[in-house]
Amino acid sequence: MTAAAGAFRVVEPADVAAATAAHAGEPGSRYLGGGTDLLVNLRRGLGTPALLIDLRGIAELDGLACMAGGARIGAGVTLARIAADPEFRARYPALCEAAAAVAGPAHRNVATVAGNLCLDTRCIYYNQSEWWRGANAYCLKYRGDVCHVAPQGRHCHAAFCGDLAPALLVLGASIEVAGRAGRRRMPLAELYRDDGLAHLTLAADELLVAAELPADPPPSAYAKLRVRGSVDFPLAGVAVALRAEEGRLSILRVALTGTNSRPFLLDGTDNLLGRPLDATVLRHLDRLVQKQVHPMRTTLLQSNYRRVAAAALARHLAARLAATPEAAR
Amino acid sequence: MNGTVASRDWPRPGVPLIDGIDKVTGHARFTADLDPCGALVGRIFRSPVSHGDIVRLDVSRARDLEGVVAVVTGDDCPRTYGVLPVAMNEHPLACGKVRYRGEPVAAVAAVDAETAERALALIELEMRELPAHYTADSARAAGAALVHDDRPGNLERAVHHVFGDPEAGFAAADLVREVRIDCAEVNHAQIEPHAALADYDPATGQLTMQSVSQVTFYLHMMLAHCLQMDESRIRVIKPFVGGGFGARVEVLNFEIVTALLARAAQGKVLMQLTREENFLTHRARPQTAIRLRLGMRRDGRMTACECEVVQRGGAYAGYGIVTILYAGALLHGLYAIPAVKYDGYRIYTNLPPCGAMRGHGGVNTRHAFEVLLDRMARELELDPFAVRRMNLLSAPTRTLNELLVNSYGLPECLDRVERASGWRERIGRLPRGRGIGMACSHYVSGAAKPIHRTGEPHAVVNLKLDWDGGVTALTGAPDIGQGSSTMIAITVAETLDLPLERIRVIAADSAITPKDNGAYSSRITFMVGNAAIDAAQRLKDILSEVAARKLGVRREDVYTAAGMFLARGSDATAVSFEEVAKAALVGEGTLTIKGTFTCPPESQGGKHKGGAVGATMGFSYVAQVVEASVDEDTGQVTVHQVWAAIDCGHAINPLAVTGQVEGAVWMGMGQALSEETCYLDGLPAHASLLEYRVPTIIESPPIDVQIVESHDPLGPFGAKEASEGALASFAPALVAAVANAIGIDLDELPATPDRVVEALIARRRRARLKSAQESAP
Amino acid sequence: MHQDQRPPSRKRLVRLCLNGRWREDAVPDHLLLVNYLRETVGLTGTKTGCDGGECGACMVLVDSVPMPACITLAVRCEGRSIETIEGLSSGGSLHRLQRAFHEQLGTQCGFCTPGMIMSAAALLRRNARPTDGEIREALAGNLCRCTGYVKIVESVRAAVDDAP
Repeated sequence: MTAAAGAFRVVEPADVAAATAAHAGEPGSRYLGGGTDLLVNLRRGLGTPALLIDLRGIAELDGLACMAGGARIGAGVTLARIAADPEFRARYPALCEAAAAVAGPAHRNVATVAGNLCLDTRCIYYNQSEWWRGANAYCLKYRGDVCHVAPQGRHCHAAFCGDLAPALLVLGASIEVAGRAGRRRMPLAELYRDDGLAHLTLAADELLVAAELPADPPPSAYAKLRVRGSVDFPLAGVAVALRAEEGRLSILRVALTGTNSRPFLLDGTDNLLGRPLDATVLRHLDRLVQKQVHPMRTTLLQSNYRRVAAAALARHLAARLAATPEAAR
Repeated sequence: MNGTVASRDWPRPGVPLIDGIDKVTGHARFTADLDPCGALVGRIFRSPVSHGDIVRLDVSRARDLEGVVAVVTGDDCPRTYGVLPVAMNEHPLACGKVRYRGEPVAAVAAVDAETAERALALIELEMRELPAHYTADSARAAGAALVHDDRPGNLERAVHHVFGDPEAGFAAADLVREVRIDCAEVNHAQIEPHAALADYDPATGQLTMQSVSQVTFYLHMMLAHCLQMDESRIRVIKPFVGGGFGARVEVLNFEIVTALLARAAQGKVLMQLTREENFLTHRARPQTAIRLRLGMRRDGRMTACECEVVQRGGAYAGYGIVTILYAGALLHGLYAIPAVKYDGYRIYTNLPPCGAMRGHGGVNTRHAFEVLLDRMARELELDPFAVRRMNLLSAPTRTLNELLVNSYGLPECLDRVERASGWRERIGRLPRGRGIGMACSHYVSGAAKPIHRTGEPHAVVNLKLDWDGGVTALTGAPDIGQGSSTMIAITVAETLDLPLERIRVIAADSAITPKDNGAYSSRITFMVGNAAIDAAQRLKDILSEVAARKLGVRREDVYTAAGMFLARGSDATAVSFEEVAKAALVGEGTLTIKGTFTCPPESQGGKHKGGAVGATMGFSYVAQVVEASVDEDTGQVTVHQVWAAIDCGHAINPLAVTGQVEGAVWMGMGQALSEETCYLDGLPAHASLLEYRVPTIIESPPIDVQIVESHDPLGPFGAKEASEGALASFAPALVAAVANAIGIDLDELPATPDRVVEALIARRRRARLKSAQESAP
Repeated sequence: MHQDQRPPSRKRLVRLCLNGRWREDAVPDHLLLVNYLRETVGLTGTKTGCDGGECGACMVLVDSVPMPACITLAVRCEGRSIETIEGLSSGGSLHRLQRAFHEQLGTQCGFCTPGMIMSAAALLRRNARPTDGEIREALAGNLCRCTGYVKIVESVRAAVDDAP
């Protein structure tokens, strides 16, 4: 049976100002992008907003431009569009690889950049039906007061599982955000905090307008750990951007998703700069990843596996990128 | 392929399904697509706890809600039901006690879904919780709370079978090895969710039930039993069914609940279960722990087998006794083994009940067996094909446990896949990380002894020939997508030498079609196929008499070809089927012919307790080779290609046979690579198609299917089953391919990347330990 | 009667072009496209196989783009063209994909078939000669439990080769 998604109303504002105004009029409302995450969650009773604010008709959110000075990606651009864009594929391959790795092809036809960046965190105790969660006394993230993943703590460990964020992080993205109070820009990393319960730093009425990427990006790549070749969320996702000058690393950025409550740039890779990407550096890199990821039992697969395999992916990607002619100059 | 029946000569392409066009146009009506006009919406209230006594159940607020028409509880059905007459221990709605989370406790029929869901929220349930057991070990431990008071130790059934002299066998062996294999619970995950439409007419007291069933006759019987209605007041109709794989081979609680609601509401109720509820309803292959020991001579000949199986059965009996018996019985029938000892334990736990799933009972023990065979072959430096060839049966024969083997195409299956996969040229020559493995399997062509021993034939098919010259086959056999109606049309058309278009098949409507036991144990082709041929032959005899009169020749001189009756020796004299049909109706009217099939007594198994399970007229045989690679960093196993050869006796419809084998191999791949259930304190964390990982098209490999025809003497045109046998050899072939690729022996299914990486880490640890010991003074 | 007690309407009019014909229906904002098609319109070829976005059985084309109807709101289809399996065959003849799925046994139980064919139809519309890899990529969100996908790939391939 197709469960209803609730009894919300939908409004279709024409511009960003109208969207934030609509939110102000109905504080519990939610912004609706492609709906591939939000509607699934609402069908499971995760949230009961009275109003959905449909952003799809807002032209400003729909732009996709690759210019000499950088790139601007409208928040409402679909993943399918970005994955197929030849200029982006040439300059920002990690982003396009990440976009192409999300869910199934039909999801990507509607799912948006903002939707993926603002994806709700996930956990096997949370992404379940109302009956299921009710039978389990709910959980810290929604309607309950215990995190079943780590019952002793007072912290929600739900994992962030968006694929785009690590790619944008290693590419040095910043974002533009709009709310009732106006607009602001910030590095993408500042959108997130490591708390499964409230992993976004946005105010309730704020929405993403665009992501911006600097020009002249280093070569980049994204790899996703999952059981099936399609549909699955990442058990871990790794993006790497790397450049070497005369055989020595000049840029090495690694970002991860799926393992913590936020996507994050790996700390400590700067210490590896100036060295050739040899087995020792790769071993260091492996150790850095294993130390900084904190996979918990939020998925059906073992968390230790996610840690070990995430590190392996990072090594693979770094080695692969270093071997490409584009990485050297 | 234009619908004409191909000749019996090989190769035959086969024919598309006779109901295929309805499926590709979207016109096919599945249960959820039936006319909902006037139907109330049914919803089930399920237990939030795993094990407990019901202290108070108050449905009055739900009943009082505007728009609610009926609420039913366990009080509305005090009778228990179940598929096995000896183990009917389940209530459609819990009575007094619940035994797993998600067990139906009450149900609501309301004017719409929102109202029904609001009503569920108004039901008050107070429970006294009891300790719950989620593993077989915990349920078997001393002092464990009992799931059923009459089953001490939570033991549903223990089986102890010894055939031959295992001790002597092991003593005569050059190599004795043992494995412990753990296979996770899996689910059918048929894409059509469960649904039922029940229509009760209070004026006539008639109930019409339409459901997703594979066993409409059992459903009919159980509805009469649970609702305490006269059987003749019930009509059960099977609409299009979106797959079964065993999920629907026993009557399911929601079906009875829907009927209870319809009667209480005095009207029509449509029940559609969510995907989560499908997983709660479950009835699939149990988590199984296997300890298996084999004795082998240096040349690869087996001397003895000893096997202990523990199945975590879930909260109710269902088919459990049959499953634990199959697990032992199907150790036989594939190879010649002089001695087999089997100890099986089916355990009750506080989880959704397990049941039958494609390859019922045999899959996990076959996996353990083939895996061990492969490891012992390696240890003895024998080729795995050679080891199989050392242990072949020779038909006709009876196995130690008295199973009938009249046809045995395994040797040719081995030859075919060995050749097709380039085994000899490639084994041992693949780069590290890539490997090939092989295994064999078999399955019954229908359980020769039915569950209900009524003395009736095992199958009945009626044919109706009317003034329009069309032949209508009436069968109770439910086509659930496997193509059984097409099979019946082909057997009738071939027997009568008619084009397929002249045959119409009406299946599974109790008011019209003869009783049939249903779509399980791959019985339809063998039993119903034979009954269809019998009916067609009888019709042909009648028509041949008529044709002889018309042609003015003797009956013996009449033969048929391409829709004509001809006289032998005088090819010029011929009369068309239509003319003969019209003449046959003169003075008679519509012809109704019945054909039957009864399994011969010698196929019905040994006299030992449980000897009926595994007994069949013939086994399908399969050999397959899997080529896979393993990423040692991520643990990802990729299957590149599968070669499978099946001995199905005779391929009545080669297109359907290859389709069934591909599906079975692939379903085996799902169990081998990614599918498993996972309960968190009895709550199914896997209860979606996101977490329960049915393979997508991306990781699904090409499958090369070869058909071997051994022409079973009892089979319809020599045919045997083709739908189940190929499943069980995939997983062991894959595990062998992984061993071949990276030298890791996996003891658990599925071979998910985390298990592979865990095994690699364990190997490194062992190596470190070993070198540390060696370097120690 | 009791006009003063009538609850306010929670529906709005949606106009869309369904299988080539414009129509207008009053629907609540939260109605899912799959329920609109199956219950409001009565076209049951579009199936429900999961609890939201996981199986692809409800795949329909919105302005020629495949979308899972179970996570699409009907009101968002205002002014758009919706195509379902029922609209694929025209003039009494099967679409070449339908013919191929029938003849090559790309359908067994038939439940995933409408969604599978709609995904394939969208592919062939934008790419007349897809490779096997592109076929697999396009069908990667449609689960089938019967075929192992072997004959599904063969069916799409046959339909490609059958192109006019």
